[in-house]
Amino acid sequence: MNFPRFLPAFAALVLSALSASAMDVSTARGTVSVEGVPKTIAVYDAAAIDTLNRLGIHPAGVPDKLYVPELEAAKGNATAVGTLFEPDLEALSALAPDLVIVGSRSAAKAEVTARIAPTLDMTIDGDNLFADAKVRLATYGDLFGKAEEAKAAAEELDAKLAAAKAAVAGKGKALIVMTNGPKVSAYGPGSRFGWVHGVLGLPPAMEDIQSATHGEAVSFEFIREANPDWLLVLDRAVAVASSEQAAKVTLDNELVAGTTAWKKGQIVYLPAAEFYIADGGVQSLGRVLAAITDGFSAAK
Amino acid sequence: MIAASPSALRTGVIASLGLAILCVLSLFVGVSPLSPGRVLSDTEALQLLLVSRLPRTLAALLAGAGLAIAGLIMQTLSRNRFVEPATAGTAQSAELGILVVTLLLPGAALWAKTLVAGIAALAGTSVFLFTAHRLPPTQPFLVPLFGIVYGGVVGAAATFIAWQADLLQFLSIWTNGDFSGVLRGRYELLWITALMVAVAWFVADRLTIMALGREASIGLGIDYARMMRIGLVLVSLITALSVVVVGMIPFVGLAVPNIVSRLKGDNVRGTLGWVAAGGAGLVLACDIVGRLIRYPYEIPVGTVMGVVGAALFLWLLFRRGSHG
Repeated sequence: MNFPRFLPAFAALVLSALSASAMDVSTARGTVSVEGVPKTIAVYDAAAIDTLNRLGIHPAGVPDKLYVPELEAAKGNATAVGTLFEPDLEALSALAPDLVIVGSRSAAKAEVTARIAPTLDMTIDGDNLFADAKVRLATYGDLFGKAEEAKAAAEELDAKLAAAKAAVAGKGKALIVMTNGPKVSAYGPGSRFGWVHGVLGLPPAMEDIQSATHGEAVSFEFIREANPDWLLVLDRAVAVASSEQAAKVTLDNELVAGTTAWKKGQIVYLPAAEFYIADGGVQSLGRVLAAITDGFSAAK
Repeated sequence: MIAASPSALRTGVIASLGLAILCVLSLFVGVSPLSPGRVLSDTEALQLLLVSRLPRTLAALLAGAGLAIAGLIMQTLSRNRFVEPATAGTAQSAELGILVVTLLLPGAALWAKTLVAGIAALAGTSVFLFTAHRLPPTQPFLVPLFGIVYGGVVGAAATFIAWQADLLQFLSIWTNGDFSGVLRGRYELLWITALMVAVAWFVADRLTIMALGREASIGLGIDYARMMRIGLVLVSLITALSVVVVGMIPFVGLAVPNIVSRLKGDNVRGTLGWVAAGGAGLVLACDIVGRLIRYPYEIPVGTVMGVVGAALFLWLLFRRGSHG
């Protein structure tokens, strides 16, 4: 062994172990070790950008369109590095980030962005969305040295959850539907929106809607037959900022009019982008819970 | 005129009976339980029948008959058995028209969207037919091949615009044929299809002569250019109407006219009724199947027809013709 050449390498190793502590981050694909606090980051997930925004962390690179108006405004002077689905590798390369975060829609591109910078897949799963969102919040807090803020945000979120739980308790059964132009799909427990039933203890109007990412295509007769006390409506056209036929127009027909929900005016239009695109971001979750609380509290 | 022989009369009776049975099935298959007895005694059941089941059944009949007739006219005008609105750019052009009007005038009424889609379909189909006529008649497969490529190019343009505007999923959901959204007040535009079928019946004999080609039909005293225009308007309007109201339903216009032509020959007036009834029955049957496979959820009729139609088409290709 050549001692003079070995020494600097050894010293560097010791130094790096002392100064920049490596942190184990739990991601959707298992534990990944991250060295030090990342400074320049690029994020391809609306939920992650939302949660980071709550912690006061502003990514240097974000998708060109985030759909959630509040996040759109909070972008600041971040560089556009592609879309929620597709990274623009040249722009990403030029940004030279220390860390890339992908999730849900962009998760499939993790291998590609990993060639430019270490990449974390922070996808939040539909089944356990609420719990997972809080795990991600705590992880970001530890990773970026904002553990205190993360704790405060988690407490705020729990308070909103408690308020929503109290508001829905004993008010009857609900059906979650998504409208897409003139067509409707229904979602039940176990679907990507199933957390609403699970976390809030809100009984579903139809027990056995199978879990499918894009819901189950149903007819208006299905809604009539389910006869929910409450309709939770997601207008996909609003979520993607298209001004196509609104959910209200689609649902306003003789069959839906026969349901308890329509007769009593118990229809809650959920904040679309927050519920559908940034699902799992702590601020988005907070706004969805607030909308549910407001809607259910208005009931006589 | 074709004299009605006893055997033709018998098939006619059987076919009408089959269609009637399908209609009754369609009226009483759905998520809400409904039986003929309850309709008579229960006003709520009667209302369900009038608001949901009857419109859905009528929409399937109208769209099916219309698309089959549109296929028949296209095959007659292009003098090629293997074209239909869904494979020759008509449906894709209508789709492009809807997309453009959705982007430029999002608040437009359904009839305005239909009009724009109809004009787009007319333009798209004209380009197809006028190009198809320049292809050498000795190579019959060039026409459908050109149609598929052309439809693909128009469809790609629509996909690109939809992708740019974040309407991709919207476009695919909206344009896949599906009767789940059909209710009273939401399908009535399709009645114009019935009008188009009536016009087709009126010009049927001239269409038959058109199938002989330009020179022959002019020689027989047909105003070729005018008939071409009428045919184009019929095909485009029928296709645009069904794309706007229920979405695209593939294979109807291809399979039904071919099967009828095998059995009944190529006299348009003689086959028109069979083609219309065949298309109506096929689409209605596929819709009933789509309602039942994953009851109480729905499989769009476009998807069911994709499977059934492909099977029918393969059967047509591999079976030797028994007629002519």
